[in-house]
Amino acid sequence: MSDASATRVSGGASGGASGGDGAAKSGFVSAAKGGSTAPTLIRLSKVGKTYYRGKEPIEVLKDLDLEMPEGAFEALMGPSGSGKSTLLNLIAGLDSVSRGTIHISGVDLTAMSEGARAKWRSQNVGFIFQTYNLLPVLTAAENVELPLLLTPLSSAQRKQRALIALRVVGLEDRAGHRPDQLSGGQAQRVAIARAIVTDPKIIVADEPTGDLDRHSADQILELLVKLNTELKKTIVMVTHDPVAAERASIVRRLDKGSLT
Amino acid sequence: MNLASIAVKNTRRNLFRTVLTVVGVAVAMLAFLLLRTVLSAWLVGVEYSAKDRVASRHKVTFVMWLPKRYVEDVRGLEGVKSVTWLNWFGAHVPGKESQFFANMATDPKSFLEVYDEISLPPEQRAHWLEDRRGAIVGSVIARQFGWKVGDKITLEGTIYPGLWEFNIDGVYTATRKSLDQSSFYFNWAYLNEAAAAPAKEQVGWIVTKVPDAAQAGAMVKRIDKLFDVRDTQTLSMSERALNTSFLGMISTLLKAMDIVSVVILLIMMLILGNTIAMGVRERTHEYGVLRAIGFKPAHLSVFVLGEASVTGFLGGLLGVGMALPLINQGVGRFMEENFSGLFPYFRVQQSDVVIALSLSVVLALLAAAIPAYQASKLHVTDALRRVG
Repeated sequence: MSDASATRVSGGASGGASGGDGAAKSGFVSAAKGGSTAPTLIRLSKVGKTYYRGKEPIEVLKDLDLEMPEGAFEALMGPSGSGKSTLLNLIAGLDSVSRGTIHISGVDLTAMSEGARAKWRSQNVGFIFQTYNLLPVLTAAENVELPLLLTPLSSAQRKQRALIALRVVGLEDRAGHRPDQLSGGQAQRVAIARAIVTDPKIIVADEPTGDLDRHSADQILELLVKLNTELKKTIVMVTHDPVAAERASIVRRLDKGSLT
Repeated sequence: MNLASIAVKNTRRNLFRTVLTVVGVAVAMLAFLLLRTVLSAWLVGVEYSAKDRVASRHKVTFVMWLPKRYVEDVRGLEGVKSVTWLNWFGAHVPGKESQFFANMATDPKSFLEVYDEISLPPEQRAHWLEDRRGAIVGSVIARQFGWKVGDKITLEGTIYPGLWEFNIDGVYTATRKSLDQSSFYFNWAYLNEAAAAPAKEQVGWIVTKVPDAAQAGAMVKRIDKLFDVRDTQTLSMSERALNTSFLGMISTLLKAMDIVSVVILLIMMLILGNTIAMGVRERTHEYGVLRAIGFKPAHLSVFVLGEASVTGFLGGLLGVGMALPLINQGVGRFMEENFSGLFPYFRVQQSDVVIALSLSVVLALLAAAIPAYQASKLHVTDALRRVG
């Protein structure tokens, strides 16, 4: 299945690397079709994923071909069981393919060991989950600092970077608060700060607004757009929410393991 | 912040459960320390036995006597520093038959030379040496029976029947743990004077002091060789060996206590293992998140093992904190006062404290080994799918 099924959403985020709004509008379409001024960041070739329920094979993704340009904000939509979370996990290096190859920035993820993928993830991918998944015993600043424990930075440098990340999401004044002292929207912004603190190229978001009210969801989406346009992060977001998908520059729909 | 500090903070995750687990470990450690203290109290007599003293008894059994003249024969041997003798008297305070204490007849002058760890005020020492009916008592039984220097007391004999009157000439303490402070020593001449044949001019055992511990082995051989051709032969041994032979009679009980202490530790391990396994199961999703952001399987093991060792150590610390006052000030004092013959020194040993603290951490790590392994083997996407 080709990625030509990508849909441009009017009013969505820019094409990122291609710069201004106008450029973005033309950029993402051409990117989706493979002729963008922005280089391709994520390339999937004939990717298939099969799970086994006992001896019965379940084909979740069927020979997917897909290219995502650098600086894009892409939304993956589709009914439950369509394979969108599996696709997100493969792009993020959380899971391995059954068939095909995935290249990100020219690096072949499918040739990596699990340990190598873990290291690659810590340097290249930021994660945002539906349920925030902050450690309840740590403060907001400590939660943001957590991924930096895997880097050679000093304690002072880690703290400084965590505070900068919290400032980006507008929560510097909540640095000392624990997750149970934050609202849902604030907790998700802390999770976003944790996702960007290592300055990754890609941010993957799995239903980032799924647990939030409309107002908080809008704030989170605005923040994601800001990360995409101002910090040039490539964002891949799985969502059921059409309003959320509207904020993306490209929307792709999956059904039964294929792009439609 | 580092991995260790996160592991410490994780113990606050479910504070009630952590407190219950810590208390569980503490109680197990308290029971462990109590049993170890009982064992140590049994063994203290052996452990602190004087190495420069040789005891000689009848070769057949220690309940048979040796002729008194053997004392002079031993004194004539080369390498002997001093010699004394004792007879087990086996008496009790009339009406208080259940309150056991060791009471022995001895020669005051040579006894104080051989047992130089006895501390007695000079005037009491001088008085005892001259008083035929005089006795010195350990500070523990003096307290137990309310005896004071100058008191006249009566004991009821069993091996030597009848009522025996004594003057309390002194209350001794010991400068080393080689002598318990709950015994009653009186003048052998008083016993011998009243004894009828065949007990007359007989001694229970002879104690020989040598100039240094290295000569004890040779002295054992020398004494037994001396009496080898006599009608009554001796069996000599170091004081430590003598005390050990007494312990041999209760070795089964000691082994049983050892086994019970191991069982207690196993129970503690199961309590900890269960708590840690529950924690790991509840945090499966969180471990998935940590793995997703780049933490390796080994990091998750460190989290689990770190949290377990903190919990175990806190439990061990609390257990020791409870055991020290409870045993040293409570149970120990009661045992020393009421069972002084069996437990002259009933205190928690420093080495047992170190063992208890080390075991609380080591066993916690062992208990957490399987949950830590399971956490490290979690597949990221499976873990992320799991909720709660």
